[in-house]
Amino acid sequence: MLQSNMPLFQAAFWSVLTIGLYALGKALYRRKSCMLSSPLFITPVLLIVAALLFHVSYAQYIRGTHWLVALLGPATVAFAVPIYEQRALICRHWGLLVVGVVAGSATAVVSSWELSNLLGLNDSLRLSLLPRSMSTPFAMAVSGDIGGAPGLTAVFVVLTGVLGAALGEGLINYLPLRSVFSRGALLGMGAHGAGTAKAHQIDQEVGAIAGLVMVLVGLFNVLATPVLVYCLGMTGK
Amino acid sequence: MTIYQHMSLWLRRFRQSSPFQALVILLFWALGEAIVRVTGLAIPGSIVGLLIMLALLVGKRLRVRTVRRGAEWYLAEMLLFFVPAVLAVLDHPEFLGLLGLKILAVIVLGTLTVMTVTAGAIDICYRLGKEDVDVAK
Repeated sequence: MLQSNMPLFQAAFWSVLTIGLYALGKALYRRKSCMLSSPLFITPVLLIVAALLFHVSYAQYIRGTHWLVALLGPATVAFAVPIYEQRALICRHWGLLVVGVVAGSATAVVSSWELSNLLGLNDSLRLSLLPRSMSTPFAMAVSGDIGGAPGLTAVFVVLTGVLGAALGEGLINYLPLRSVFSRGALLGMGAHGAGTAKAHQIDQEVGAIAGLVMVLVGLFNVLATPVLVYCLGMTGK
Repeated sequence: MTIYQHMSLWLRRFRQSSPFQALVILLFWALGEAIVRVTGLAIPGSIVGLLIMLALLVGKRLRVRTVRRGAEWYLAEMLLFFVPAVLAVLDHPEFLGLLGLKILAVIVLGTLTVMTVTAGAIDICYRLGKEDVDVAK
């Protein structure tokens, strides 16, 4: 049924299945909100099961659905609107955002490195795991710069976003946080795009801050991570 | 109503529709990608597009009405765009065992640490700043 000599049919089939399962996940989540029924969890799991059933590889799957991933580009551009609408709030407290981005980025590199060391992961994995807390295009650039494998990094970034969005939602309820800044930065820093999308669902202000933090984290890390890695003497050991 | 009035009404509705506005945002993205390709900047094209659109909004060259609905549509459905990329794990069967669990541990613990430190640092600064303001009053 799903032979590779029918690329158009394959592309249509997997696109429709992906969108359909996402819609199903969303409907389910509206009825019962928990981590397992989140569309970011249930949809990929069901798709992996389908791919295994039909003996379809990732290359075959992504050939037909790449256009959906490409829409992350304009979705990132769309964050200009909430950032613009919250500009007064952001201008008044820009110092807090700088604190969050610098503290978060440093913690991201150090925690990732120490945890990988602790669990005895090899160099390539350790370096690929480092640039995780930023959106994919930034992360892949940094990964290449510091000697990781950009392809692996892309997988880790997406997993971080997916898991982070769910973890962050729980953490926000658990931590005694007062300002919208800490809540927005928590999601934008920890889980980049997926976290920002989650933040946007929680609240307009939180979403705008998460979006801005995501952008700042990306810009800051492209410049700072290679320097930090060099300073800590992480490469070549 | 004259034909002209009909047309301008239709045009206004079209401009307010989310598909048209989504297309406008798509063009900003394409512009950002083109700029990056031509100049060889180390920044992703989508960020360049975002900065251009934000600059136009702040400079009042672009009305927020023209893009708000389109932006809302992208942001509401953004999680869908991440889903296909997760299937890249199909290419890494070695992650199915202990190694996968270790990587998962690094991701989960690392992300929780980053989130707690980030939010904590901001909240502490926020409270300190607030006290200063209270004292000044």
